[in-house]
Amino acid sequence: MKQYIMGNEAMAKGALEAGVKVVTGYPGTPATEIVDYCLPGEQVYVEWSANEKVALEMAMGASLCNMRSMAVMKHNGTNFATDFIMHLNFTGVRGGMVLVSADDPGANSSQNEEDTRILIHTYGHLPLFDPATPAEAKDMIKEAFALSEKTGSCYVLRPVMRICHSRAIIEDGAKEDLVQTPDFQSDRSRFVMSAVSEPKAGGLMRPMWRHRLLNEKQAEFTRYAEESRFNSVEEGEGRTGLVGCGIGYTCIKEAEALLNRKFPVLKLGTLPLPRKKVISFLRDLDVAIVFEEVEPVVERMLKQICYEEGLAVKILGREDYLPAEGELTPETVIEALRKQGLVEGGKTAVSAPQISAPVRTRTQCVGCPHRGLLSALKQVARKKKAVVTGDIGCYDAGSFPPIELQSTIFCMGSSIPMASGIAKTGIDRPVMAIIGDSTFFHNGLLGLVNAVNNRSNITVILCDNSTTAMTGFQPHPGSGTNIYNEQTTAISPEKIGEALGIKTRVVNPYLMEETKAAVTEALEEEGVSLVISRAPCFLLSSRRGEKEIFPRRPVKMDPEKCNGCKVCLNDLGCPALHYVAGEKKVYVDFNNCVSCGLCADICRRGALSV
Amino acid sequence: MNLNIIICGVGGQGNLLASVAIANYAMKKGFNVVGTETIGAAQRGGSVVSHLRISDGPIYASTVPDGTADILLGFEPVEALRHIKKLNPEGIYIINVEKVPTVLCNMGLDQYPDLEQIMAALQDVSSHGYAINAAEKARELGGAIMTNVVLLGALSSVSDFFDRDEFIEVLKKIISPKVLEKNLKAFEEGRALIAS
Repeated sequence: MKQYIMGNEAMAKGALEAGVKVVTGYPGTPATEIVDYCLPGEQVYVEWSANEKVALEMAMGASLCNMRSMAVMKHNGTNFATDFIMHLNFTGVRGGMVLVSADDPGANSSQNEEDTRILIHTYGHLPLFDPATPAEAKDMIKEAFALSEKTGSCYVLRPVMRICHSRAIIEDGAKEDLVQTPDFQSDRSRFVMSAVSEPKAGGLMRPMWRHRLLNEKQAEFTRYAEESRFNSVEEGEGRTGLVGCGIGYTCIKEAEALLNRKFPVLKLGTLPLPRKKVISFLRDLDVAIVFEEVEPVVERMLKQICYEEGLAVKILGREDYLPAEGELTPETVIEALRKQGLVEGGKTAVSAPQISAPVRTRTQCVGCPHRGLLSALKQVARKKKAVVTGDIGCYDAGSFPPIELQSTIFCMGSSIPMASGIAKTGIDRPVMAIIGDSTFFHNGLLGLVNAVNNRSNITVILCDNSTTAMTGFQPHPGSGTNIYNEQTTAISPEKIGEALGIKTRVVNPYLMEETKAAVTEALEEEGVSLVISRAPCFLLSSRRGEKEIFPRRPVKMDPEKCNGCKVCLNDLGCPALHYVAGEKKVYVDFNNCVSCGLCADICRRGALSV
Repeated sequence: MNLNIIICGVGGQGNLLASVAIANYAMKKGFNVVGTETIGAAQRGGSVVSHLRISDGPIYASTVPDGTADILLGFEPVEALRHIKKLNPEGIYIINVEKVPTVLCNMGLDQYPDLEQIMAALQDVSSHGYAINAAEKARELGGAIMTNVVLLGALSSVSDFFDRDEFIEVLKKIISPKVLEKNLKAFEEGRALIAS
């Protein structure tokens, strides 16, 4: 069957056709749906793990039992799982194992922009596939499972956002006829990574021996790369060649079509590189331009090959010729050719419009429980001159105008240790960390434990909406459910607070006065305090038609009483409110208002009332 | 035959369903289709843009190159303005004129451009376009949620590529039977908005 589907679904199909038995991951754009789409697979175990390191370790456990497994994550997760990668590269795997590490060039949905090929291949020495299209990503996953078993190594697929979030017509393939029976055999010289002398290697320290084996493996990886159908050469005119890695290849092909030209092209889809193929391509060229996402990884490898082979080819790419940041586009290729004098004329400028489009900053949904909480926190923080650290989730939009509450956002779980660090300087201001529930279970808990053990003086605000809302409502250890909708123990943050011996309060964020009072008390206390703001995600509970999470309080607007002070906009920032500059008054957009009534609680003039 | 389409709007407007409907129509006609979306945090008021590329030959990049969109379907005026550089000078634009103000515009901290200015900017690029109030029409028919189908109706009548009856067959497959009748009405009203 042929279907028009998303790249993430194509990758899930590839894994299922390869007979994957265990799929794990932590949600993160652009990779999330790969896990979701594995769910209906027959005889596959799928889970949302607490974090990406746990997901990768789970997959390794399955591989040790000779079963095919896959761990799925976005680049930040790969960073987080790197310690484990730096061991599984030494040990190798048993059952075929694939790590999907999705990058987000252009950082459309990420806190940072990076290239995990460096972590996986340059640093971890693992073999990797870099797909050019969703269909190729599907084929590569299947190939990765096969090669993983042939080489006894974990293979990695590195799709970029434009693979994950592209859609194409994808054909179903046959499911591999594999008989997999779980079987565990202890092999301690391999799977016990420890600083011991290894008799099998003449008494060498085991880590050094395994390092040597990994280095020796590279020749085998290169041999498979040399034979791979994902690397190919296309002939063309002239002595300037274009090298397209992954999605870079499609940009080159598009540029060729737009220009109606044909250049010599080297399409690359693997790391390590097919060295012989690369040398034979470079031999007839004066210049080669490398298009890759997003760091100059292959570019530097080609420079090294040219040096070693004595080839006088000028290698250009993202190091200092192409833009060093952001997504590649066909226009990037055309511009590079223009700079080489290979495309006539100036830039075909599309005239910029005279007016600019106002930016859309992210905010909470109308009716969201985070809005009441963020407003209460802003009011208390202003009064107490608190320093506020933030974390990753829907509530992080509280760092943007108009709320501008959190002063920091780094990576998952950073809010609490950063707050502790700020407090430990002895600064004469209270310190508050804001973290969501999924993020708390991902990597926030340790920061809290550390803060307690080291007697930090901080207040931790846990925004508990029982789901991982930002990425599409995945369950987490505090949700009381899992990917199969089974009832599980909802791990209670207040019981964690109790176990840690810290003062813990639970508030309803729709009751702003109560929330403000609880946070104020917490800030005045010595030591670590925990305030749990609890209300289910409004969007999710509305979609599911669940019991109303707040009493509906229809808002009335009296323009006579509005003096245009904008407190409702600055301290609440609800998208259903708007300011009419000509009248200097705020109005309610009743098409959008869901009657949470918070604006009436915040209006000091009685212009907004319930 | 090559047809590049840009559909731009704000999260929650049904942009994605529109692009899937067009893609399925093209597939049914035997064409190759590739698309992509830039979604960011679409559910929370962010910009959403879908690129759709249809061809009887191979298609490489999933994004529509600048200046090559044959059709720009703007679910929201400012979003159309944001992607104006995609429009081919020979291309057609269809804009739903109902504004979705940004958070900062709501607060009076940013200026939402006048609709006339936006239309003028579009006309500077291409002289073929339509401004319709699809959202108002959808509400008349029972819900703003059908704005996307009104716009699909409009789209289906501006290009020879689309056949009304065959497009309706595609909609029947992807829209829930419970709301199909209203949506087919919305589709026809979209066509009528262009005809008038």
